[in-house]
Order: sequence, then C-alpha cells, then structure tokens
Amino acid sequence: MLSSVLIVDDSPVARMIMKKCLPANHGLTVYEAGDGKQGVKQYLKQCPDLTFLDLTMPVMDGFQALTEIKKNNPKAIVIVVTADVQEKVLQRVAALGALHTVKKPPSKATILDALQQATAALEIQESS
Amino acid sequence: MSDIVPELFTDEEKDILQEVMNIAFGQASADLAEVIDIFVILSVPEIHVLKGHQLPGYLCEELQSSGTVNIIEQGFLGKFSGQALLIFPTGAEKELLTLFNQDQELTTLDIDIDILEQETLVEVGNILIGACIGKIAELLSDVVTYDPPRLIAKDYCLEDCQQSPVPAESFAISIRTVFRFDQQNVEGYLFLITNQHSIDWLKKALSTFLESFE
Repeated sequence: MLSSVLIVDDSPVARMIMKKCLPANHGLTVYEAGDGKQGVKQYLKQCPDLTFLDLTMPVMDGFQALTEIKKNNPKAIVIVVTADVQEKVLQRVAALGALHTVKKPPSKATILDALQQATAALEIQESS
Repeated sequence: MSDIVPELFTDEEKDILQEVMNIAFGQASADLAEVIDIFVILSVPEIHVLKGHQLPGYLCEELQSSGTVNIIEQGFLGKFSGQALLIFPTGAEKELLTLFNQDQELTTLDIDIDILEQETLVEVGNILIGACIGKIAELLSDVVTYDPPRLIAKDYCLEDCQQSPVPAESFAISIRTVFRFDQQNVEGYLFLITNQHSIDWLKKALSTFLESFE
C-alpha cells in the first residue's frame, strides 16, 4: 500500500494539478520539490513510496534526477509525468528505470492508473 | 529579464501559461519527431509580455550571438488570434534540410537549393507552430484556423533593425522555449503575437483551465 508520494516539477501549477488529480481521501503524505536537484534531495530525505517526476526542469532535469535516484535506490518507484512525449524520450526514461510515463496534462484517470501500477510494483517488491 | 508589460498577467496566470506552453511544446516536438528522425531537447519555457514596438530590441537582446535570423510567420484565428513567429539563426535552414533530406531524395528534384532550404524552414515552422497553437487551443477549449506559414524575413539583421516585424501596439507573448535539435546544433525561438482582445480571452481561459482540475 502506498503511503507517500513525492511530486517533482518546477511549475507550481503543475504540482497543484497533480495534487488535485490524486484520488479524494487518498491518505497519502505528499512531498514536493521544484527541480531535479531538490527532488533528489527530498527523495533521499523522505524515501517516498512513489516519485512523480517531470523531465524539463531547471538546475537538474528529470533525466539526471532519475539517474541519481536510481543510483541511490535501484528499487525506487518513479513515474515520469511529462509533456515531452517523443518516442525517444519515452524509451530513454524506460531505460533509466522509470516504471511508467504519464502524459501531461494528467487527469484523475491517468493518475489513478499510475498509482495502481505503483502499488502493484511495491507489492511485488515487498513479497520478494 | 523582467517583463516589459508586467501588469498584463498575474504570476499565477503566467505559471499556468508556462505549463500550457510546456505541454504544447512537448506535443510539437513529438509531431516533428514523427516526420524526421530527430530528437528535440526542450528547455523550460519562459514567458514574457511586451509591446510590438519593443520586439526588435528584445529579440536583439535575446538572440545577441546569432547575428542574422530567418523568421517564419503563421497567422492563427480563433478566440485566441494572432501571429506565431518562429525564429532561427541564419544557417539553421541548411542543418534542417540535411535532416529532412537524409535519403537525398529532395536534392534529386529540379529545385534550387535555396528554395529547398526556405521550404524546409517553412515546413518546420508549420509543424511546430501548428502543434503548439493547436495544443494551446485544445487545452483552452478553443478552435483555431491557420493561414499558410511563410518566410517573412530572410537574413534579418536584428542589430540594424529599427522596424518591428509586427504592429507596434500589438502584444508579443514571448515564449522563450528553445528547441535544440540533438544531432544538429540548431536552436529556434517561438513568439506569439496577439492583441488585447485575445489576451482578455486568454486570461479567462487560463482560469477555466485551472478550474477544470477542481
């Protein structure tokens, strides 16, 4: 069962939209970060069950942040939320270990699906 | 750089517009990648608003190292109406033609190379502007029609320019997202030029967009 998520996006509006797309009464602890570097720092500090990660960000982009997070914890569950939907980008983040990619703008349905995928991945990790 | 017309959008409206533009540019890149085997590296969009007559000075400042530029213009008409200007430094047309012409098919045609390069710029503009404006319209529940894209300035020297390529009293929403093409060192800049009426609509539409997530 997921208990915490980290939302990494440089846009405060995008973070707000993400939070609004979480299911009602989700009971999750939500952490936020405004760029990739802060995202990695928050990940290491909070160890969230799931990280939603934007790609196009200042200071440190999502590719680098994903690499850093996975370097620290190969089992980290990271879902990329991006407007950059080029096939090569999707392939690259998958190769870097992202569980899934959500196309921006997110919706309640796509975020619910992402949470279900993350829950399933977490359960597999816990049972192994 | 701070806004030249700071009162037009609130910080929240600019945040929403930035996010909408981010989504639109993502779509534009994906559309371009379907046409040619290219990987587009996107930067974080920066939104600035200025008056038309301030555009040459602003462009000069923003593209200082570029020298001369080529400008592709495409008009769009809807509740949100205006002109999109896609600006590439001179030389980009050669790089872009190389990308479009990887199988050398185009150069077997009996068309002057300069014309081919210009047509390449116009087509890249058509794809990027169309996807970008189309996505903005979709996200903000508008429908737009387009004029054909055209090259309105070739080897345009920003430093020498005193005359704005757009009406002096129009508003230019500068979206300083840089398209950097991975294999070729090409960067492009997109500007949307619009009017007070469209800005009023845009402000309402941005608010409605945000409310849709309530």
